[in-house]
Amino acid sequence: MPDSGYPWPIETTRLDNGLRVVVSEDRTAPAVAVNLWYDVGSRHEPEGQTGFAHLFEHLMFEGSVNVAKTEHMKLVQGAGGSLNATTNPDRTNYFETVPAEHLELALWLEADRMGGLVPALTQETLDNQRDVVKNERRQRYDNVPYGDAWLRLLPLLYPPGHPYHHATIGSMADLNAADLATFQAFHQTYYAPNNAVLTVVGDASAAEVFALADKYFGAIPPRAQIPPAPDGRTVAASGRPTTQLVVTDVPAARVYVAHRTHPFGSPGYDVLTVLATVLGSGRGSRLYQRLADGERIAQPDLVGAYGVDLAHAPAPLIATATARPGVSAERLAAGLAEVVDELATVPVTATELDRAKSLLSTSWWRQMSTVDGRADTLGRYATQFGDPAKCAERLPAWLAVTAEQIAEAAAEVLAADDRVTLTYLPEEKP
Amino acid sequence: MTLIADRPGPGAARPYRFPQVVRRTVAGGQVVAAHLPGQNLAVALLLLDAGAGREPTGKEGLGAVLAKALEEGTAQRDATAYALAIEGLGTELVIGLDWDSFQVSVQVPVERLSAAVELLAEAVRTPKLDPDDVRRVRDDEATALRMDWANPGPRADAALRADLFGAGNRWGRPMYGDPESVAALDVEDVTVFHSEWFIRPGTLVVAGDLDRLDLDALGATAFAGTGGGPVDRGGPIEVPTRPGRRIILVDRPGSVQSTLRLGHPSPYRAHPDHVPMTLAGTVLGGAFTSRLNHLIREVRGYTYGIRGDFASSRRFGRFGVSSNVQTAVTAPAVVEAVGEITRTRQTGVTEEELAVARSWRAGQLSVELQSPRAIAAALTTLVVHDLPDDYHARLRESLLAADVAQVSAAAATHLRPEELTLVVEGDAAVIRDELVATGLGELVEQP
Repeated sequence: MPDSGYPWPIETTRLDNGLRVVVSEDRTAPAVAVNLWYDVGSRHEPEGQTGFAHLFEHLMFEGSVNVAKTEHMKLVQGAGGSLNATTNPDRTNYFETVPAEHLELALWLEADRMGGLVPALTQETLDNQRDVVKNERRQRYDNVPYGDAWLRLLPLLYPPGHPYHHATIGSMADLNAADLATFQAFHQTYYAPNNAVLTVVGDASAAEVFALADKYFGAIPPRAQIPPAPDGRTVAASGRPTTQLVVTDVPAARVYVAHRTHPFGSPGYDVLTVLATVLGSGRGSRLYQRLADGERIAQPDLVGAYGVDLAHAPAPLIATATARPGVSAERLAAGLAEVVDELATVPVTATELDRAKSLLSTSWWRQMSTVDGRADTLGRYATQFGDPAKCAERLPAWLAVTAEQIAEAAAEVLAADDRVTLTYLPEEKP
Repeated sequence: MTLIADRPGPGAARPYRFPQVVRRTVAGGQVVAAHLPGQNLAVALLLLDAGAGREPTGKEGLGAVLAKALEEGTAQRDATAYALAIEGLGTELVIGLDWDSFQVSVQVPVERLSAAVELLAEAVRTPKLDPDDVRRVRDDEATALRMDWANPGPRADAALRADLFGAGNRWGRPMYGDPESVAALDVEDVTVFHSEWFIRPGTLVVAGDLDRLDLDALGATAFAGTGGGPVDRGGPIEVPTRPGRRIILVDRPGSVQSTLRLGHPSPYRAHPDHVPMTLAGTVLGGAFTSRLNHLIREVRGYTYGIRGDFASSRRFGRFGVSSNVQTAVTAPAVVEAVGEITRTRQTGVTEEELAVARSWRAGQLSVELQSPRAIAAALTTLVVHDLPDDYHARLRESLLAADVAQVSAAAATHLRPEELTLVVEGDAAVIRDELVATGLGELVEQP
């Protein structure tokens, strides 16, 4: 068992304005990854403003006081870099990987949009990016079979008012109602240096990065009061199964089974991570062996289980299967539920456990094999757990999980009387 | 508050380096490896001359079905035992299939690579191919394609490909086949394809810490029991051009977006204009700040994204633009996309745009070539296209040296807006009349 999942140096500092800076030097490749985690996500959105954190992420690419509209992308790509950003219920991250000689450019761009976005924000930009985001929603969720499964599962898992009740993409109605003043206030409230972590990994020293961070970010004032998201750590068990049936234009019946488990980062979620791999990752998983291969009721490419790594409330575990031709949704749902139920009653074998841990080890080292993968990991642990070095504990924690713990976890959080089941049925064609 | 207004210039440039490449001939096959010192993960990829281009016309999808059948048990163990063995090492068999090659790979912590290559070779060289299993896998693959074809995109792609290259040719049909072609395959098609193409040695690509790997032993494992030499791969295919633009409308009733696939044939990979063409494609539709994405997304808000590029394989290529646009703006989106292609052909690129394109493409050779998987893919390019060990460094130099005149000339030569096929997959009842009214070309409907 490895002692550490992070065998590289980590150095940290905190600027006077509260910005945490994390550096992990690695001279292997002449590239450097710059990554900012802002501790704001869709969990902070009040009712009527769903989708705002994500739409705001788009606005961050549209110029700031010293960066003209469209110049951000042009400068990073023109430096040879790759860049993007993502928003989820927990947080928003912005990142670019550039040839090492362009580190300072990347820091200048990030500082300018942290400290100087609001004066550059225009109604025209908001209207344009609102249309772009509405097309993103159409492309990802509305125009593809089963595309809205995640949008349907969240409100079934989390009650109204819970920070995970609504999906990050938001509703069309709320996006239409978004006004400029709300976004200006959003930036002023959450995009403060004391609400962010700057991580730099690769071909740069900590001393160099700390000095540049101070030079570019040091003058941005902190914000005294950053309003927290609603507390979602405790979700009362419903005590009864929740089901939803969707009859629509899909090519085959599909069933999703979902449970609330534990927050990402907790010991309980480490057990769930191994459990999900045993249950639904790969051809050796229980779902594949039982439903795709054994009973042959599920399509082999479309069976699986996974946890969604959310840290601020019990995170979801989702298992899914799609019916082979001629198999009814009822039979598929019963088969899926049976395999999930058996996690509590049929002990996981040493072979199953070794297989899951091997797959998780490879997955961990794959994430660590690039400077951008490492930067995002360090930023996550600094933001969510207060210490980037804690990431080194994750892989050893997975490898220490026992079969008994999996059975206990299954009995505790995968009980049939607190289960969400979402079923898609093809509509009858005339 | 004081933000620093002046944009910083670059620091001292680091020298470009691609990992050291090692080539060996072992047991009748070739090993091509890259040394990644200190890297914990390693990738081994067996590259076979069994791409979609080797499938007989009418047998599209054969490679994909065979790929699935490889994991249904081997001469030594059944499917379940095989899955537990290979996943117990921490990897799955990852299959890649394109026009030029069939690739099967494993990715594991470096000390497990030898065991993983043994299992890889066992599946590729000695699959059981039990007839009942092959038929089941074939039916599953046909079902999987039907699922995939329920999404927007595959039908439009197939319509474009057939129109550009002719549905009577293998390269005019979908790379992975379609639900009907796969359903029509029989067991013998699969076993014959295996015996023809999967027991030739091929090339083993390795990316990892070579100080901890024995390339000769890995090669000996991968090539054990193989025979037969390389087979002629054929030269570039003459694709007839057809004057006149046309619109092909693929109906997707109720669709809230229209899927656009615009394209025409373009040169094969080894064409001397490859670099300037790539850069012209980058200015037009490759980078985020490309002409197409700027106009259609950032100015108009018609889409979440639009991209265009020149794609090429050993024997043929195509210029293509793809996007999903809101149904209500389908016609203006197509008109404006064709307008940008036409403008780029007529007036070429500017130095400012080209500066971004060449630095971006050159920088990506450092930024994106980090993981063992990415390095293995880069080595695969060397093998498939017969390129030298220093290819990536040379490519970087030629990207950085390309000037406005060369790239504009490539745009003028290889963009042919008057010969575009414009495939639109969307709600025909809503968009048909507007598309006809654009006057962009004759409209053909496909049910």
